[in-house]
Amino acid sequence: MTEKMMGGAGASRTSYQRYPRVRIREMKDDYLKFELRDTDASMANALRRVMLAEVPTIAIDLVEIEANSSVLNDEFIAHRLGLIPLTSDDAMSMRFSRDCDACDGDGQCEFCSVEFFLSVRCDSDQTLDVTSADLQSTNPRVCPVDVAANALSSAADGYDSAEQKGIIIVKLRRGQELRLRAIARKGIGKDHAKWSPAATVTFMYEPQIHINEDLMETLTLEEKRSWVESSPTKVFGIDPNTQQVVVVDAEAYTYDDEVIKKAEAMGKPGLIEIYPKEDSFIFTVESTGAIKASQLVINAIDILKQKLDAVRLQDEESDMKELTSHLGNL
Amino acid sequence: MNAPDRYERFVVPEGTKKVSYERDTKIVNAASFTVEREDHTIGNILRMQLHRDPNVLFAGYKLPHPLQYKIIVRIQTTSQSSPTQAYSQAIDDLDKELDSLKKGFEDEKTRFEEKLRQGY
Ligand SMILES: [Zn+2]
Repeated sequence: MTEKMMGGAGASRTSYQRYPRVRIREMKDDYLKFELRDTDASMANALRRVMLAEVPTIAIDLVEIEANSSVLNDEFIAHRLGLIPLTSDDAMSMRFSRDCDACDGDGQCEFCSVEFFLSVRCDSDQTLDVTSADLQSTNPRVCPVDVAANALSSAADGYDSAEQKGIIIVKLRRGQELRLRAIARKGIGKDHAKWSPAATVTFMYEPQIHINEDLMETLTLEEKRSWVESSPTKVFGIDPNTQQVVVVDAEAYTYDDEVIKKAEAMGKPGLIEIYPKEDSFIFTVESTGAIKASQLVINAIDILKQKLDAVRLQDEESDMKELTSHLGNL
Repeated sequence: MNAPDRYERFVVPEGTKKVSYERDTKIVNAASFTVEREDHTIGNILRMQLHRDPNVLFAGYKLPHPLQYKIIVRIQTTSQSSPTQAYSQAIDDLDKELDSLKKGFEDEKTRFEEKLRQGY
């Protein structure tokens, strides 16, 4: 049993855990900008990857066309329906259809699917747009995100804009008709991009910029201007009062090295040093609207925890192997 | 028609183990862990966390082929530790880091929302 203690969970194991810090800069329902510090790029990148490809949402996955006399073929319409973002606040607690034992995936199951109906016919000479607003959901918590947003805004201020038309699925002329039943399911972006809740997720290293002030003062105002202009993005500026070069926006720097090359070309190597801070990241998260951007981050943390849990060693076998390996080494 | 199911990329097939462990035959305290249906997301955070452990002499992972949905994590430790111990410790530490991150994010979100309310 002592060998088992050595291989297994001893009480005296030291932890090498980190405690990341977060600061939110900007937060809207579908946009989030925040700083993440005291962790490394592997963690930042894991979060980014999980947000893009592994946080679940709900999207239309099966379409039964009853009638389609539109100009687009059935599969084309089925594909377009799949790409419409649906409100997915319930996705985390839903079941994947393939894991659901309460049904056979027929769309009637409350645990794993939501049924939609669409029935539109054009009887006028004017072209009729079939949009996401024509989709009738059987679950009020799951509906096209633009429809949900309009319901909220028109309830608040009561005016309707051109934006309220919905996402166009197909256009119909006189006599054309589209009738179908669709089943929306829980899924992840890894399976198909239509399930990705993220429009974009990016992170950058926070740049640390050191200007060699003594060397900078050897430059004439004209040289300073030309050096400041050499950056493709507006990182530096000149203080109108002191005529000193100042950092206007460090994060505008794209690690393009242009100002460094320019300094060298001017015969002033070491004028500027720019390092990426390796434990400090600036994240930008844009959501499709399926879930809030802030919820997307929280869900990504939860999913990553679940993934880690799934790769834990099963105790009995690892301890057994560990024990035999220890005996073998003696 | 004979295309494999899309979910084969992330659902562990029946009868296959998520993690299998194989001890190195030549080097002491070295082993490979084959993790089914995982990729760079897990591979890289595990590797970097293992590097924080001073008893870990080597830690690396590879994705052998883009169409084989698995990663292989190789670990060598000093005699003070063992590959399985280091592996489990790394997962525990990452898990706790994420707990702390979640709490930190939620607190900051509350604080930020409160700040916005005060502003209006
Ligand atoms: Zn079901």
